Amino acid sequence: MSFVPIYILILGFTIVVDYISGIYISRNEGQKRKLYLIISLISNISVLAVFKYYNFLNNNLTSFLHGFAYTNPIPYLSILLPIGLSFHTFQAMSYSIEVYRGKQKPETHFGIFALYVMFYPQLVAGPIERPQNLLHQFYEKHYFNYSRVVEGLKLILWGFFKKLVIADRLAIYVNSVYNNVEHHNGTTLILATIFFSFQIYCDFSGYADIAIGTAKVMGFDLMTNFKRPIFAKSTGEHWKRWHISLSSWFKDYLYFPMGGSRVSASRLYYNLMVVFVISGLWHGANWTYIIWGSINGVYVVLAIMTRKHWIKFNTFIRIDKFPRLQLSYQIIITFALITFSRIFFRANSLSDALLVIEKIFTETGRIFIENPSVLIFCFLSILMLLFVELKQEFYKGVFSFFSNDNLIVRYISYASLVMIILIMGVFDGGQFIYFQF
Amino acid sequence: MGNQFSIFYLKMFTFILVVYIADFSVGNVLKYFYFKQNSGFQYRTTYAMQQTNADFLIFGSSRASHHYNPEIIENSLNLSCYNVGRDGSYIFYHTALLKVILNRYLPKIIILDLVKGEFRQERESYDRISNLLPYYDSYPEIHSIIELRNSYEKIKLCSKIYPYNSDILSIAIGNTEFNKGRWIDIKGFSPWYKTMDCPEKIDTSFFNTKIDNVKVSQYENFIKECKYKGILLYIVVSPYYLISDITDNSIKISKDLAGKYNIKHFDFSQDTTFKLKCSLFGDLTHLNIEGTRIFTQKVIEKIIKDNQLNMQYTKNKREGVISAISSLDGMH
Repeated sequence: MSFVPIYILILGFTIVVDYISGIYISRNEGQKRKLYLIISLISNISVLAVFKYYNFLNNNLTSFLHGFAYTNPIPYLSILLPIGLSFHTFQAMSYSIEVYRGKQKPETHFGIFALYVMFYPQLVAGPIERPQNLLHQFYEKHYFNYSRVVEGLKLILWGFFKKLVIADRLAIYVNSVYNNVEHHNGTTLILATIFFSFQIYCDFSGYADIAIGTAKVMGFDLMTNFKRPIFAKSTGEHWKRWHISLSSWFKDYLYFPMGGSRVSASRLYYNLMVVFVISGLWHGANWTYIIWGSINGVYVVLAIMTRKHWIKFNTFIRIDKFPRLQLSYQIIITFALITFSRIFFRANSLSDALLVIEKIFTETGRIFIENPSVLIFCFLSILMLLFVELKQEFYKGVFSFFSNDNLIVRYISYASLVMIILIMGVFDGGQFIYFQF
Repeated sequence: MGNQFSIFYLKMFTFILVVYIADFSVGNVLKYFYFKQNSGFQYRTTYAMQQTNADFLIFGSSRASHHYNPEIIENSLNLSCYNVGRDGSYIFYHTALLKVILNRYLPKIIILDLVKGEFRQERESYDRISNLLPYYDSYPEIHSIIELRNSYEKIKLCSKIYPYNSDILSIAIGNTEFNKGRWIDIKGFSPWYKTMDCPEKIDTSFFNTKIDNVKVSQYENFIKECKYKGILLYIVVSPYYLISDITDNSIKISKDLAGKYNIKHFDFSQDTTFKLKCSLFGDLTHLNIEGTRIFTQKVIEKIIKDNQLNMQYTKNKREGVISAISSLDGMH
């Protein structure tokens, strides 16, 4: 990461444009009202287009013209992607849209509005908040609340555990494999891809926990961004548990305006594909992300198309008589499908992604073990995560460590987690994956 | 609210105390078992820092630990020899190790084995300074090197557990008899018995990357430490199976700096005895036991020849070296 002070002007531009737009949207009706909304949206999307997509689009244009033996006269821009751009831009757009819809009063205090856009716990990687949830909190008086502060600190500790012990540990193995895919066999690539699934979950949700916990300590409530997506029973359900703030943003501001599910079947499938392709594009200016998004769109569409057939199939094989078994295989299949799509998310290039897939299906062999302790730590950390999340998902009322009534049990649990972080955590300053979006 | 604050501070204080006690206890247990190891990389670092008194030391990375056989050196030069090379170590490690050793005793001859790209900018070489963390408390002379790892390293080292971060498994294994069998250790030398299959194609593309001046500065410190303490230092680039013809900037810099301090620099990276000879390599970057035998012999011959020239042109300062050289003369 580089520190470029002038990039604060980008935030400044977004804040000024949306602050003014919000006021003018509320003061006008009809076409003028719409015009100010369009100005706000175009301004925000333009910032994204320039800093995030300009070179990608230019690259594709170069390739296209090259096919006709032409050269591309448009120059490339040598600019950095400002951190958190996609997040705070979407948060700002959400404000303009909600004011337009009449669901949110325009914020007249410039400082409060600026704080809404750049509230630091969630500025760089979400959750992408809605104005109805966040703005009013800046007007409320916040008093020290012991329980709230403790809950916030517990979340922060858990977030650091997921990031340092699990995500960054898995990253060691994943990076060594995915940065050299041509040298690894299919078995190793399958393992690395599964590890990546856990890595990205712990990295992103770990950050979210730290952000939400930090806000909680200060007396602010941010929305939940993850609800144990590992246990999703379908790809559709996965997107209700994963990066909830972004999924709901696309649902409310793209999917529903396109008609949502109250349209013909073919239109529904089209709407879903559009949403997922754009979601892929939101993640990065690269064909790999677009394909990743598309694959997930295909999953959801196919799930809808085949829903009745699945129910019949489950009845036919009698698995519906064994709910736990059915639940297990639904979870495993969903996890496998989502993990497969993440090959494109993680691969350094499209050709790498295709090579990974080819090798998975054609090349078996021994698992790559450069350092056995790395693998042992990886499995241990995943086991710890699954233990905790299984308990939270299926055994809520059973013995709790962090929320135990016994003070000694609680203190030992907190201290043990700190010890595990110190013993097993990776402190080499690995960046959060979602900072790059 | 004031009451809530008081309860919070009290409980926070209690929690910090619990963590401190746990950290202190677990950290000291880890420390005890770390230094109790009797095999493996960590043991060898400890041995090098605390025990070796060899006249002849070899510093470097895995290439050093696999390429120089101390027994051959001992038999040829009549000097005790120990190989302090360690896998995955860089100039920071070598310089730190040297500082600690020289504070304890002065060896007569040192070889520093450098790799291509030794001084290139890369994060990993700073991460590998973690190998020195367990020694932070005992050796103030290496603090400045350890603190290069990260600007918060000093704060992290307030924790007694942190120096042993990620080492719990290796510490546990290093205390077992089983580990002795895993790593053959001949005075620090790790022989590689495997012979690699000849590759059909190798990528020899090489691009000189940016140089890290901090690394160059540490290398210069290494040279100065040896020079000013009257230790005979040789900088060696050991053989590669195949290396690009483009001169590596790091090798060039190491040569120039060695020349500045009048230190001998032996570059075997393109030596035709080893180039493209599969039978002498365990993998693309490490000699096998046969390759090591030939290479160690070649290095010894160079040292002997160099010392004969030295005797002609310079007055020798230290008796120990004179007697060693005399014994070298006696061999011819």
